[in-house]
Amino acid sequence: MIRIRWSHWGIWLVVFVLTTAALLAVRSRLDKAHVALLYLLLVLAASVAGGRGLGLVVAGVAFLAFNWLFLEPYGTFTIADPLDWLVLVTFLVVGGVAAQIVHLLRAETAEARQRTEEVDRLASLGARTLAHPRAADALAALADMIRSTLSLRECRIRATTDLGASTDEIVPWVAQTGLAAARLADGTVRLAESADPDSLLGDAVTLLLPLSAGDTVVGVLELVSDRPIALDQKRRQFLAALRYYAVLGVERVRLEAETANVAALQAADRLKDAVLAAVSHDLRTPLTTIKAMAEALAADGDERAETISVEADRLNRLVADLLDLSRLRAGGFPIRLELNPVDELVGAVLQRVAGILGGRRLVVSLPADGPLVVGRFDLGQSIRILVNLVENAHKYSPPDAPIELTVTVDGGDIVMAVLDRGPGVPESEQGRIFEPFYRPADALPDGGGAGLGLAIARWLAETQGGTLRYEPRAGGGSRFVLRLPAARLDHLQESL
Amino acid sequence: MPLETVLIIDDEPQIRRAVRHAFEDDRIRVVEAANGRDGVDRAAAERPDLIILDLGLPDLAGIEVCREIRKWSDAPIVVLSARDSDDEKVALLDAGADDYVTKPFSTPELKARARAVHRRVPRGASIETRLAIGDIVMDLAARVITRQGEPVHLTPIEWELCRVLMSHAGKTLTHRQLFREVWTGRAFGDAQQYLRVYVGNLRRKLETDPVRPKYIRTEPGVGYRFATHGEVESSS
Repeated sequence: MIRIRWSHWGIWLVVFVLTTAALLAVRSRLDKAHVALLYLLLVLAASVAGGRGLGLVVAGVAFLAFNWLFLEPYGTFTIADPLDWLVLVTFLVVGGVAAQIVHLLRAETAEARQRTEEVDRLASLGARTLAHPRAADALAALADMIRSTLSLRECRIRATTDLGASTDEIVPWVAQTGLAAARLADGTVRLAESADPDSLLGDAVTLLLPLSAGDTVVGVLELVSDRPIALDQKRRQFLAALRYYAVLGVERVRLEAETANVAALQAADRLKDAVLAAVSHDLRTPLTTIKAMAEALAADGDERAETISVEADRLNRLVADLLDLSRLRAGGFPIRLELNPVDELVGAVLQRVAGILGGRRLVVSLPADGPLVVGRFDLGQSIRILVNLVENAHKYSPPDAPIELTVTVDGGDIVMAVLDRGPGVPESEQGRIFEPFYRPADALPDGGGAGLGLAIARWLAETQGGTLRYEPRAGGGSRFVLRLPAARLDHLQESL
Repeated sequence: MPLETVLIIDDEPQIRRAVRHAFEDDRIRVVEAANGRDGVDRAAAERPDLIILDLGLPDLAGIEVCREIRKWSDAPIVVLSARDSDDEKVALLDAGADDYVTKPFSTPELKARARAVHRRVPRGASIETRLAIGDIVMDLAARVITRQGEPVHLTPIEWELCRVLMSHAGKTLTHRQLFREVWTGRAFGDAQQYLRVYVGNLRRKLETDPVRPKYIRTEPGVGYRFATHGEVESSS
């Protein structure tokens, strides 16, 4: 579209008339070349200042004025010397070409400037979008920017995780397939074969474009207009660029929500641990009293009091487990790696479980006579691991089946296994038994603990540089294997 | 000297009551104190035969009470402690307490421990030349140790270890205390980590079944305790 600025043209008319008048005043002393060069200068100046149109008009008028005023016979358009035609035509052609060249230069410059402006605009928009203190505000600002730039009625950016309130049922489809879609003025839906909207432009009043980060669709850009949406090349480029910002914006909203969520979870976790620790501690005193009183009654022959005492013990173990879990998570579990004979570990375990097993046999097998087997581990915590394994074996085994505790040395490891003839662990659950609060699906409601024992046991084993694994036992049952690092004491054995 | 008076220092009235019931059944007088200061005063005024001391007192740390009493009294002290406070138990035993019981404790256990520490050879008594518990007889003068009449060969360190444990039978000795007595004059450090190994070897020589020891009992995280004659008799 060529806009004609009349004031501009007026100025150039005056300049032309003045120049021509000046030339006329000295016509007798001028050569044709002077006139042609001066007029060419005017054509160039007019082209630079007013564009190709003005340049060409000035060239045309100058051509006529040249002929009329400066080529003999003066005052006519006839030309006496045929060679003057050559001058005139050459002038016209040179003027036209010059105007055209100047025009092309101007156009290129303008385009370059526009591009620079575009880049500047997108850059500042991106900076503003990313700099918004709240991610949701940034997204809203971005949507508003798209809406106003593309002259739309509405622009919405939806995260895939939050499509609930969308007005159009094809939004989820776009989110799922990652393909663009459009709704026409008559309400029909048109689907594109790619994420680009190009094939849908022209008659769509609603455009739905996927926002993709890599292979994942993180959101949908929804453009709503009153008229069919038609986008020229520049607007399409603008839209393509802003889609990337929209992806960033949606991702930022998601990350912000995640961060807030994590912070809230951490706070809740800390509170929970503090409550656990306080509660478990405060439960100790009443438990001690209950146990002491029940024992006093049991000593007088009351069998029910014995049950109270046993239950108090169980409650105490549960409280201890909870306290341990909270400490373990707070990193407050002291582990002391010291040289310990395996005899001592096994002995302490047998002492601990003696009261629990009732009439059940616990078969212990140790390495055949030889030097004392010594490991480097935390005695107290290793006792807990094995006591827990034996208690579990006792809990899940048929009443008459003995439990086995075997100790062997395997290279640099002391291998301690607790074997039972219980139901074992189904293969599908073997990965989960070491998770906190895991309980078998068919566990009895009064099966005992909170499902923390194995989780704590494994954690304790690994913290000491050992491992705790489950294996099915040949012939039925479970085999829990605790490996702890052995210690070499050759130099000490010599000194004994 | 029979066990006649027991002092219980605990701020929880229920625990004091439970302890009182346990001992009064055996016609033992129980004196109560609800805090550390009162406890120290009562210990001075009543001269109890045994003191039961709770660790979580509101006014004084248990270890302060223990040190205060130990300045002028040899009465055995049994500490009541929460589970998982091994460091505290060790500190108390090092400060002169004789034994500990973990909460929630069983009253028969508390009474058994109390009797064991009370029967122990009193501090400062003339040094005995012969120690006999169960089947183990140690003749300190002749430097001979026998098990069921059969001589047992011990290395010098094992001998010292056995002597210290047996002469404190019934009392829990911390690793530090044992080390001080056995390796007199040596710094507490590197050799200390082998203490358990020496105990392990000693057990193999004295016990019929080292994983079910009758004599040398492990107090995990704290130390060792040689069983009293009464305990050995009742366990066999």
